Amino acid sequence: MNFHDMEMRGVYAKTLKEFMDKNPNVVCLEADLGKSSGTVPEIQEKHENRFIECGVSEANMICIAAGLAKEGKIPFCSSFTSFATRRVYDQVTISVAYANNNVKIVGTAPGITNGPNGGTHICFEDLSIMRAMPNMHVYSPCDPYELRSVLNHMMGEHQPTYMQLIRLKVDPIFNGQYQFDPNKAVILHNGDDVTLVSTGYMTQFALKAARDLASSGTGVDLIHYPSIKPFDVETLVKSARRTQAVVTVENQNIIGGLGGAVCETLSEIHPTKVMRLGITDQFGEVATQQYFFDKYGFGPEHIASACRKMSKTGAVYQNKV
Amino acid sequence: MEEKKFDRERFDRLAEEIRYVTTDMICRYGQGHLGGSLSLTEIIITLYYRIMNIRPEDPEWKNRDRLVLSKGHSGPILYTTLAYKGFFPKSWLATLNMDDTRLPSHVDHNKTPGIDMTAGSLGQGLSCACGMALACKMNKKNFRLFCIIGDGESNEGQIWEAALFAAHKRLDNLVAICDYNRLQIDGFTEDVLGLEPLTEKWRSFGWQVFEMDGHDWDDIYTKINMAAAVSEKPSMIIAHTIKCKGNKPLENKPECHYVRIADTETYHEIMDGLGCKDIQLPY
Repeated sequence: MNFHDMEMRGVYAKTLKEFMDKNPNVVCLEADLGKSSGTVPEIQEKHENRFIECGVSEANMICIAAGLAKEGKIPFCSSFTSFATRRVYDQVTISVAYANNNVKIVGTAPGITNGPNGGTHICFEDLSIMRAMPNMHVYSPCDPYELRSVLNHMMGEHQPTYMQLIRLKVDPIFNGQYQFDPNKAVILHNGDDVTLVSTGYMTQFALKAARDLASSGTGVDLIHYPSIKPFDVETLVKSARRTQAVVTVENQNIIGGLGGAVCETLSEIHPTKVMRLGITDQFGEVATQQYFFDKYGFGPEHIASACRKMSKTGAVYQNKV
Repeated sequence: MEEKKFDRERFDRLAEEIRYVTTDMICRYGQGHLGGSLSLTEIIITLYYRIMNIRPEDPEWKNRDRLVLSKGHSGPILYTTLAYKGFFPKSWLATLNMDDTRLPSHVDHNKTPGIDMTAGSLGQGLSCACGMALACKMNKKNFRLFCIIGDGESNEGQIWEAALFAAHKRLDNLVAICDYNRLQIDGFTEDVLGLEPLTEKWRSFGWQVFEMDGHDWDDIYTKINMAAAVSEKPSMIIAHTIKCKGNKPLENKPECHYVRIADTETYHEIMDGLGCKDIQLPY
């Protein structure tokens, strides 16, 4: 099936509807943001009895989902990343993760993609706080085909899961043959000079930077992490051993998320110089994507520049210079 | 509902024994939530001995009635009752809060047979019970959901989110009970954050509301059955209880919420407060 022209939220709603068509235990929960996540009207109309509107009460929604899961239902509940994680952190921690209930939480409009809503709604820390939660699985797909595959995986696994959902249309990187494996990162570009690590929304920009650099002679090993937790240690370490220099880029605060996971891993197994790109410990604001890229330095040209700089550092360690 | 055999003398004796054992469990560990455990004694016993459809030998039996103890810190009184019903050996009771125990201070469905939902972070259990009640209706099952919340717990905004939801979804298979002992950690409920008029609040949220004497066997049995028979609405039973009921020196005292046993003398003081005679600990 062709998902090239669909918004990611459309892909989410379509995929969830397919699950609900096939499995009577799948339920969809919303907290008055169904239009935003794409489930209204798609699922509300087609599966009225299993579309559970909770109103503006995210804490209640998470625990209702936990109760439904306890009784064998398979709940997918969504809200903006800010409300699906930090607002309900204790509810998710206790009633979902600690209780180990099979609840799927979908955080929509991650990071700078929620720019028009500004600082109150932008969340730069969801990957960080969710990966710090025992029992929780944390995914951040980068394109419509990976989203489909991640959702299929979530449907098949009985475990607490958090997934970031980009609402916008994203140009495909993968195709219908792609198979998500939470234990394997994906090498999108090969190179020996610097390792570039990305996830979710930033992977498309990282790939552009890697391709641009290839034409100017800098070899980028681009590793995309659709799963932040579990975190594929082996692929990262193997690449870092070769390049001796790592750049991370994420649509998040650089504290604790993908960059954090990379630094924790490398410092224990193969200490390597790492440069983290993303939001440098600031709140969001009403702004365009380009404004964020320029202000914090993590757009495609900044990624390329960081890779060039770090490849020189790597070269020293590789005894090339 | 068919009346299960009720022998008042036997139940009085059972309540006395369950209070004694629960108090010993908490005191031998050295600290714990005594007051809010003892205030629930008659209610928990009535639920498990006279009302709920359960199979202790098969704790996960699909058609059983469920209890969500949203005020999860009252776990000890529920553990004692579950052990006496045969969900697990009474010898486990001596392990309350000990390292590697299956009986943690707050209820945990992954650790203890018969616990239907993990709870303890206040305000969440009623929402979980709503989800379970909704699933029951979706699955066209007839089991019932009982949920016990605290009066202090009712300070949590999420309780009122769940109240809106249950009424909106007409969850008539949900019976909530509020342990209204009028005390919370920092003092009397009306001093900390007033709940009154509590009955009117729940009624205005669309619930069928009952009140009962939470220590009167007949009143508890009658009101829970009346609540369970309500259709098209969830039910709330405001249970008027006495915190630390049965331990005269500690009854209705703010300090009974969480007791600490400094030495053998304090242990005996608290145990003697129950005024029990000839009760053998089952472990």
